[in-house]
Order: sequence, then C-alpha cells, then structure tokens
Amino acid sequence: MSDSAEHVIEIEGLCVRYGRGAKAHSAVRELSFTVERGETVGFIGPNGAGKSSTIKTLMGFIFPQAGRVRVFGEPAGSILARRRSGYLPEVSLYYPFMKGREVLELYGGLHGLDRATLKRRIPELLEKVGLAGQGEVLLKHYSKGMQQRVGIAQAIISDPDLLIFDELSSGLDPIGRHDLRAVLLDLKRRGKTIFFSSHELYEVEALCDRVIMIHQGRKLADEIVPDLLGRLARGNGHPPMSFEQHFMNLVRSTGEEVAA
Amino acid sequence: MRRLTLVARTIFIEALRRREIYVIILITVAVLVLVSFARVFHLEYLHKFYQEIALKTMSVATAITVIVLGARQLPREFDNRTIYPLMAKPLARHEFLLGKYCGVVVAGLFCLMLFMAVFSAGALLMRMPIAWSVFAEFVYLQILLVAVLAALSFLLSLVVHLDAAITVATLIYLLGSALTNALSMIYGYVGAAGRAVLLVLNYTIPQPKLFDLSAKVIHNWPPVSAAILGLVTLYALMLIVPYLGLSYFLFRRRAL
Repeated sequence: MSDSAEHVIEIEGLCVRYGRGAKAHSAVRELSFTVERGETVGFIGPNGAGKSSTIKTLMGFIFPQAGRVRVFGEPAGSILARRRSGYLPEVSLYYPFMKGREVLELYGGLHGLDRATLKRRIPELLEKVGLAGQGEVLLKHYSKGMQQRVGIAQAIISDPDLLIFDELSSGLDPIGRHDLRAVLLDLKRRGKTIFFSSHELYEVEALCDRVIMIHQGRKLADEIVPDLLGRLARGNGHPPMSFEQHFMNLVRSTGEEVAA
Repeated sequence: MRRLTLVARTIFIEALRRREIYVIILITVAVLVLVSFARVFHLEYLHKFYQEIALKTMSVATAITVIVLGARQLPREFDNRTIYPLMAKPLARHEFLLGKYCGVVVAGLFCLMLFMAVFSAGALLMRMPIAWSVFAEFVYLQILLVAVLAALSFLLSLVVHLDAAITVATLIYLLGSALTNALSMIYGYVGAAGRAVLLVLNYTIPQPKLFDLSAKVIHNWPPVSAAILGLVTLYALMLIVPYLGLSYFLFRRRAL
C-alpha cells in the first residue's frame, strides 16, 4: 500500500449510537473527514460532542452503526491498523502491581519489539517523558500525572506512524504539558501523523496544521489552522476574534439552530 | 504465542505481588498446624484426619483463588480502563482472552503447587503413609479442575456482574455434583422440553466430585486407571472448550 496515495485516517458517514429503542442516543451522526500523512489534526468539541466515540471507533473499541472507518487503508481496529498506531486513552490506570519498566515491556512486546530493543528503548522513553529513574517503581506509587506520562511512553514505544490521543493533556501539570508538547513537536518534525482530541484550544493553535470541530455528533468545521487564525485576526469586516471566541460562536449557533 | 505469554505474565505478576494468595496459604498452614496438634489427644488415625482436612482445605482454597482471579480479570480491565492501551496494541481479542485465561490457570497452578508442597512437607514431617502415585493422580485432577473453574468464572464474568460471577461459580464448585444428582433424580418426572433443558444443564454444569481423588489418598486405595484419567481429561476439555468459545463469542463484538 502506498501511504502517500491513501489517507492515513478515512471516516465516511460515521454513525455511532448507544442504547436501543426509546433509550437510543446518537453520539456521532454522519461524520466524514480524512487525515493525511504527516498532518497534525486537532479534534475539538464540547463535552458529549462525540470526540471519544469517534476515537474509540478508530481504535476498534466500539462498532459503528453505519459508515466506513479506515486507518492506513485497513478497517479500523484491525491488527494491521493497530500495528502502525499508538494510542493514549483519556483516562487510564496502568496495572498498579507492575513496575514502570515492566508495563512498557508488556506494551512494547505486544508490538513485537524484541528484548534487546526494549532494553535500549525503555530507559530512553522514560527519560523522554520525564520518568527517568522511575522504571523500577510500582505503578501504584505513581501520581496521576506520572501515570499519564507512562501512557505517553506506551503510545510511542513502537515509534508508530500514527498517534491518536484522546484528551491530549488530561491529568498533566504545566510541566507535563510542556514536556508532552516537546514530544509531539519532535514526532511532528519526524513526519508522524498525529490526531488528538482536546479541550485546550491553545494546544490546537500551537500544534495543529488542521482543526476539526464537532458538536452533537456533527462536524461543524474543518479548517487549516494558520488560515483560520489569520482570518480571525484580520476580522474580514468583523472585529478580530480569538480562536476560543470563534469556537464558542460556532457551538452556540449550532445549539440555537437545533433548538429552533 | 509471545503475545499470549505477555498477557498471561501480567496475571502471574499480580498473583505474586498481591497478598491474597499468601494470606490464604498462611491460613491453610495454620489450619494444618492446628490439626497436627490433635496428636496430643491420642486420636486414632490422626494421619487420616490430617489428610482429609488438609486436602479439602487446599482444594477449596485453590478453587476460590482461581474463581476470584478468573472472575475479576475482565471486569477489572474495564473498571480500571487498562483494557484500552492493551487493546490498542496489535492484540486480537481471542489472544487477549486466551492470554488472560492462561494467566489465571498458571496462577492457580502456582497456588496449588504451593499447597501441595505444604501438604507433602507436613506429611513427611509427621511420617504419614502416603501413596504418592495416588497423590500424583489427585494433583493431576486438581489441575484439570483449576482449568475448568478458570474457564467457568471467565464466562460468568462476561454474563453477570463480578460479585454474582464469583458467587455462582463458587456455588457451582461447592454444589455442582449435588445439583447434577438432583437433575438426574427429577429427569423422569418432566416432559420432553424439560428433559432437554435438564440434559443441557447436566452436561454444562461441571461436577467437581469427578476431579476429587482425596478419598483414595486418605484411605490408601489403589490408583485409578489411565483410561479413567483420560476420560476425566476429556470431560474437562468438553467443559473448557465451550466455556472459552462462548466467552469469545460474547467478547468478540463487545464495545469496550
């Protein structure tokens, strides 16, 4: 397969519904977008917009009611797709009875990395995510922020071509966010494709080439970040507006449309 | 295969690092030490008394350990959300289930072997006459029971809540044989549909008594034939394979 010819992520007409009958609730409705190779794409929306459901579908954790979801041209969640992807969940604990090194050996091993590679890579990774010297500590003694750093390490352990982060900096303190941004910028420089959801709009501004906004399961906008920021700064006949204000206006106007 | 081993290893590490197994072993040792004090009462056949209490206590302790470990694997993965980073790796759902199952069985065997070492040490210290060939058969069937109970608790944890899974699996372990006896007693009094249901229940509920050779060990009876052991092995497989197959069927499309 030639990656340059195909999209890294391809979502077409995705519908995700929870529950049945009268209690059924649509989390994602007719969502379509693509992510190209080497792009960093932010996926934003208010709580309950359908971001996590979309990401879970991408990873094959949930199965859509309708639509086509492909990763590297393979069905989402397939072994081939997961082999080339790294994923950081929104909130996750990592086996409390295991040590940092052991849990990374587990995740790296599942990716097919041999012992020699793991022995070399794990200390490097721990250093990279700010956990140097913590590899022999049981995870039950890690703070929430340290657990999230382990999460980042496990997501990039196989040096995947695609990184998917659900709520990028959830649980991280300002230093953790700074370190994470450095990791992401490094990955971006190396041509990796990054797709992440976030509530932190400044992260999207700082890191993304493109932003996809969703609300109530529907796509509101899909824009190139520098173009969007330039347009908002110029105003184009309106007062200049911040990215945050633009986002709020979009969400509110959609809410009013639905109410009307 | 490596992926199965890696998943199984997490359960074994958990079993080693949690204190539950050691607490159960300490309680069992305490029971055995207390029983050995019966010597001061000049009890006749003390060794039979010791063996009976010891083997029953160890069998029940191993079974409970395996049931609890097996039943909590999947619910814990969901509750702690550890399943997400794990299933984001190139790990098929059947590999995940089989790895977990193997881990529970290995942890159960570790527990069983510790118990058997304690029992053997006690028997040797008290110079009890033990037919070691029968004892080996007893241990083999206990291993099969561990594998059956692990598969059963796995399946139950996918169908009902964790607490209910542990309760039902424990009841089946303690009362399975009595229950299937009761089924055969009422078989003649029900209609065709009822008989079909009873037959299904009879063949799907394990009968732990079939895996229990403790009486032979205690009374020094002769060992059972290899053919019987083969049949019990087949019976265990006839339970394990459908339990795991059904577990996979329920898990393969489950939303995580």
